Amino acid sequence: MNTKVTYEEQDLVALLRQKDDSGFTYLYEHYSGALYGVIKQIVTDMELANDVLQETFVNIWRKIDSYDAGKGRLFTWMLNIARNAAIDKTRSKSFQQSLKHTPIDGEFVQPSVKPGIDDFGLKRVVYKLKEEHRMLIELSYFQGFTHEQIAKSLNMPLGTVKTRIRSALIQLKALLS
Amino acid sequence: MNIKEYISTGIVESYVMGLMTGAEREEFEALCQQHHEIATARNAFETALEEQLLKDAPAPPAFLKRKIDDAIANINNNKVLETEEVREETPVRSIGIWKWVAAASLVLMAGSVYLAINTNNKYKDLQQANLTLEQEMAQSKEQLALYKADAEMLQKPGMKMVGMKGTSMSPHSYTTVLWDTTGATKDVYLLVNNLPQPASDKQYQLWALLDGKPIDLGMIENADVRQKPLLYRMKNVQNAQAFAITLEPTGGSKNAPTGDMYVMGQL
Repeated sequence: MNTKVTYEEQDLVALLRQKDDSGFTYLYEHYSGALYGVIKQIVTDMELANDVLQETFVNIWRKIDSYDAGKGRLFTWMLNIARNAAIDKTRSKSFQQSLKHTPIDGEFVQPSVKPGIDDFGLKRVVYKLKEEHRMLIELSYFQGFTHEQIAKSLNMPLGTVKTRIRSALIQLKALLS
Repeated sequence: MNIKEYISTGIVESYVMGLMTGAEREEFEALCQQHHEIATARNAFETALEEQLLKDAPAPPAFLKRKIDDAIANINNNKVLETEEVREETPVRSIGIWKWVAAASLVLMAGSVYLAINTNNKYKDLQQANLTLEQEMAQSKEQLALYKADAEMLQKPGMKMVGMKGTSMSPHSYTTVLWDTTGATKDVYLLVNNLPQPASDKQYQLWALLDGKPIDLGMIENADVRQKPLLYRMKNVQNAQAFAITLEPTGGSKNAPTGDMYVMGQL
């Protein structure tokens, strides 16, 4: 098809709620890449990343009624579904087996810098942050550790972790705009 | 609340990126509803993030879309199948004699299993009922023993009964003091016929009066004013001409009453 349709977000949501196939195809074509990018940066294994993307779109299809436009944009909602699914996957057995060596329980893998492979999307921006900020974003956003877990493992007060993550996010925002 | 400052703390970004706990999220959402500026800031960051992620997004493998479509078609079909299955009637088919025998024995077996389960359930119910009865019985016996002891005390020859009438402060109040004047210990018991429930920082205190001087006979727990036990053991007193109850601060007053008198009775 040559005719390119663009939907306003609310129209797209309405189509999805009616379980409209063309609405879903549009959604996939428009957003799957962006979501896939984030998923790949969390679950590095390509086959697992494919599984997560499938889970993500199936969940979007099933749960579209629970999306609340008052709480944020459609993309943000989808991104959080994708991120949560990806982090869930990293907790699964198949992911642990895909790693060469499994981390000891309660410890996390120090985030490794893999420019070239990871150097796109959000991580391209994250790499511009100060080392300390970069690590906190890695641990909290990409590895999904809670503030408490990070505080415990880095032997830092919880308040400090929270403040530093917030200031890392402010830096991130400045780099995005 | 300074909205500008609030927005610049990184809280907006933390919310959008899903790094908040449930409670924090709810708070932020409520504030978004109240303050348009917060919602605007949220939308701005969301858009910036979205643009960045859309900009150099890797394309997922082409076969994935078909796989996802199949998965979704599967979900939809399952839903349709589920509703159809409910409507479907059991097909009628002719069956041979052995199938009848097998079916009959299955029915018999199902019947006996049902009976066994049923009997077992009834047995369990009875066991439970029995246990409840036993517990209730024990409680009743205990209660009866208490009443018996109280009744025996009331029948003692030297037991003096002093009715205490409500003062103008509380005309409907009434209590009774039972004073064992024959025993060496001169035990004092109180029967709360009617007293208003005191405030939680107040307590009733019983006094004996001798030659115009008050003698502290102890406190009455507020819970007991409500529950009215038959006889309430107070402090002993060797001599008294009258008894009175006043309302005092919790814990009571040491030497003389400070609060209002509720009931009073002379010997």
